[in-house]
Amino acid sequence: MTSALEIDGLSKVYGTMRAVDAFSLRVQRGTIFGLLGPNGAGKTTLIRMLTTLLRPSTGSARIEGYDILSSARTVRSMIGVVPQDNNLDRYLTCRENLVLHARMYAMAPAEYNRRIDELLELIGLTNRQHDFPDTFSGGMQRRLVVARALVHQPRVLFLDEPTTGLDPQSRRAVWNYVQSLTPQMTIFLTTHYMDEADTLCDRIVIMDHGRALVDGTAAELKERLAHAHMYELEFSGGGERYEKLLRELPFVRNLQRTGNSFRLALAGEEFLKPLMDRIGGDDIRKICLKEPSLEDVFIELTGREVRE
Amino acid sequence: MFRGAIAIFWRDLLVLRRSLFSELLAVIAYPLTLYLAFGIGLRGYIADVDGVPYALFIAPGLISMTAVSAAFNDSAWSVWFHRRVQRTIEEYRVTPITVYDIVIGKIFSGFAQGTIKGLAVALVIFMLTPFRFIPAHLLAYLPFIFLGSMIFSCVGTICGTMIDKPENIGRVEAVVIVPLIFMSGIFFPLSSYPKEAFAIISLLPTTAIFEGARQALLNGRVAPLSIVILLVTAVVAFAAAALTFNRKMSE
Repeated sequence: MTSALEIDGLSKVYGTMRAVDAFSLRVQRGTIFGLLGPNGAGKTTLIRMLTTLLRPSTGSARIEGYDILSSARTVRSMIGVVPQDNNLDRYLTCRENLVLHARMYAMAPAEYNRRIDELLELIGLTNRQHDFPDTFSGGMQRRLVVARALVHQPRVLFLDEPTTGLDPQSRRAVWNYVQSLTPQMTIFLTTHYMDEADTLCDRIVIMDHGRALVDGTAAELKERLAHAHMYELEFSGGGERYEKLLRELPFVRNLQRTGNSFRLALAGEEFLKPLMDRIGGDDIRKICLKEPSLEDVFIELTGREVRE
Repeated sequence: MFRGAIAIFWRDLLVLRRSLFSELLAVIAYPLTLYLAFGIGLRGYIADVDGVPYALFIAPGLISMTAVSAAFNDSAWSVWFHRRVQRTIEEYRVTPITVYDIVIGKIFSGFAQGTIKGLAVALVIFMLTPFRFIPAHLLAYLPFIFLGSMIFSCVGTICGTMIDKPENIGRVEAVVIVPLIFMSGIFFPLSSYPKEAFAIISLLPTTAIFEGARQALLNGRVAPLSIVILLVTAVVAFAAAALTFNRKMSE
């Protein structure tokens, strides 16, 4: 299968800060690729370079074989972009927003009117096509931004945190829609939601400090933490005391507490007995081995500190 | 070629068409008030200027002032709003159009707004006052409205591109645009200036617009020097607007 995206050593440097640091990647055509990372990891900077909005400091990238620098206009004719913000034109109606976009691509009226009718039907906004976006809910606006990026039938669609701020129903509507676009289209998605990446993406890269940390399917990434021996413990009381005790144990990692329940990783299977010896059996109500989630992988790799 | 500029121009005219009546009402009120206050209110106190009744003397300048102010305001606020508030400029930039399409589209929108609003004021003054221009003189007058609107639209585009805080656009207008307009002989003849100041004032593009417009509308004369000054300024302003916008977008 050929690559829709080829990125070789792409970097973006602002003064002494490397927002993206020698990032390399291949994304196969017709797949959904997910880029995960905490705030400031470099995801949006990478997308802005790939969509020709930002000039890389070094490195190169090709989309469908076209270089993002030397063939920027051709690249833009083949991509659709859904940015983080709903940057709709609030002085144009829903339909006019789509028409303006089509005119930017020099589409003929007969062609774009048919396509816009299809898209409005698909996103459920046919009856609201003559209303202004300000009168729409967040979910409707998001669907309209996605539809706008699809008017010209791009070959590669960039979605930068497409479901941020949406309610669960709207998120699922966007997911279903995104899934329906493959394999005709290649999708490059960034998200903060682990369940979104788990559900949608054929392949995931977790990045931080401008670099790729891990690369694989959701199952492969979780498998990487299989050695981590994640456990759930629940006590009948004394949560504070047990937290202090557990934090002092050198073989306990990634401790998370909710009331009297704990989630932790052990440095190895052999540490289960020392753990039980230290906590005793008086207050224990439950202990079980836990399958690692994608979020565990993410936290393990990027740390627990809150980013700005 | 220029399909992006045409698309943006189409968008801006569509939006203008929706609010044309309220826009015109707002834009006509200010020059009309000035006309009534100075032209009618003071006519008993001010003698004819160079043989022209004072109300008629200020009319061409007020029409031109409306046109260039509208061109400046529309371009400056439109570019700022699309760049900083709606962020629609970013949506334009991920399509195959160029940054030159965007800047040309916005400049032509400002130019069109200036011309439409200037002509609306001319129509109102024509209807409400007894003063009449010789219709043939209108042909000589139009180049001044066109070039003036174009120049101020470019200046507005530069402001909307470079200025991030909206209050600073108002400050530029108060400190640069309004003095330039008022110093250029809308309300008094340039001969009122001391000799040294006159030499400088007469080379200002705004003087070329307002004095040139007056000569064209009242006497049917097109001053070649004024046209040359305006053409050169328009070319320089356009190049500066395109360059500024391009550089800002590369940041």
